Amino acid sequence: MRKDALSESARLAEISKHLRNTLNLWGYQEVFLPTIESYDDQLDKGTRFAYKNEFYLIKPDLTSQIVANHGGQDDMRLFYISEVLDGGVRGDWQFGIEKIGGSDGHLQVEVLSILLSSLKALRIDDFYLDVGSLKVWEKAIGGIEEYRKDILTALYRRNFDLIEELALPRDKKQELWSLFNFRGEETDYEKLSRIVARLDSERVFVDYGTLRPLPYYEDLVFEVYSPRYGQPVGAGGEYTLNGNKACGFAFDMDALVEIFDGEVDGNRRPVNLEDDHPYRSARKLVQEGTAIEVRT
Amino acid sequence: MRVVLPRGRLFERSLKILNDAYFDFSGPDDRSLISEQGEHELLLAKAFDVPVYVEKGSAIGITGKDVVEERGSDLFIPLTLPFGQCRLSLAMPEGVRPQISNMEGYTIATEYPRLTERFFEAQGVKVEILTMEGSTELAPVAGIADGIVDIVQTGSTLRANGLVEVHQVMEVAPLLLVNRVAQKTRFEEINHLISQVKGVIRNGA
Repeated sequence: MRKDALSESARLAEISKHLRNTLNLWGYQEVFLPTIESYDDQLDKGTRFAYKNEFYLIKPDLTSQIVANHGGQDDMRLFYISEVLDGGVRGDWQFGIEKIGGSDGHLQVEVLSILLSSLKALRIDDFYLDVGSLKVWEKAIGGIEEYRKDILTALYRRNFDLIEELALPRDKKQELWSLFNFRGEETDYEKLSRIVARLDSERVFVDYGTLRPLPYYEDLVFEVYSPRYGQPVGAGGEYTLNGNKACGFAFDMDALVEIFDGEVDGNRRPVNLEDDHPYRSARKLVQEGTAIEVRT
Repeated sequence: MRVVLPRGRLFERSLKILNDAYFDFSGPDDRSLISEQGEHELLLAKAFDVPVYVEKGSAIGITGKDVVEERGSDLFIPLTLPFGQCRLSLAMPEGVRPQISNMEGYTIATEYPRLTERFFEAQGVKVEILTMEGSTELAPVAGIADGIVDIVQTGSTLRANGLVEVHQVMEVAPLLLVNRVAQKTRFEEINHLISQVKGVIRNGA
């Protein structure tokens, strides 16, 4: 058992409540998918086990589970809160959203806006959202595909010496170096500039050099982080699902627990059992939408 | 900035290269493992734990490639440092030199279970791995393992225990590690630090 699991649970519940409210306001539907899925190449993470000569995964990554269960519908707005197992017995709680379908350029802005308003709902203000583009790198690698793996490894590790060792012309290395160190608010890439302009937030930066290039993302990738936590708080990107443009992100709930300053909700109307008809009063208050605390 | 250095064989050279490049750290003058020095903070950790400190928020650290690969840590690795080179190798008792492909079912003692499993899996061979916490050379001598996968510098410890290096698993060098978030929040400062360390290396550190 985890030390102090119930206190952690109370904070996770408080965070989840704010996130659920925010996503409901944005018109997103919570998804509840099976804890155990038949083993499938499309599913990421989770812990594999065998039962009656068949392989299964317990608690796989929710995005991959949504992808595997997607029946081709477009215009879906989904969110989830779930524990994802790491292949063993440990799990991490994740909150994530997926927007499937929608017009390129607006779809991404909607998802990023939800990310911003989710953090705002948790009263987390000291965060940054870095956005980058895989297509910018694809363009830079165009014509030198034989070095693609080395360049992406250099990017992943942020080790430019790996690029310096390649037999590339000086001006190409210079171009890659510029991308490697590009971090700012404006860029020549129109699509990204439009997304940043539409977001209209001082928390957003364009960063080509420190974003993780994951294989299933197609262009926009992003990461959110806080100086108060040593690892990214969340990350996401855009992809295509059954011919539909899609975009999503996931928050690391452990990270949110660390940087969430809000108190566990104490603003409730007390209902004292010594009062006349306390439970009738309690039911009436709840029916009216008032949060209560029954004091025994 | 919080900096984590490994105690042990890499410490002196790690401290020197960082001081030559950027910092003005003094070594520990007592048994304390953490010291505030000016606007920076120096932590001394076991080499195996350095990536954990960096992954969890220390801005930079130095430790061996063997440790970083074994831990599978999520951090930036902008530089390989030019000292303390060694290798991770498979060693067997003297006179025993099987083909790797014939080692199915062998028992291998190691402090590096992930790297060992990955090495043998790449050869299509399944071995039993005994995870040790040090003095791995003892395991074949005591008869509980057929061989070991361990760090080799000169080979003298192997020879003293009747073992012979039979296959190199990987070359090992110290790496400069950078926390993923620190690279963003201290973008200019860390880029400058990396550039200064590169300069020291170029000048023959």
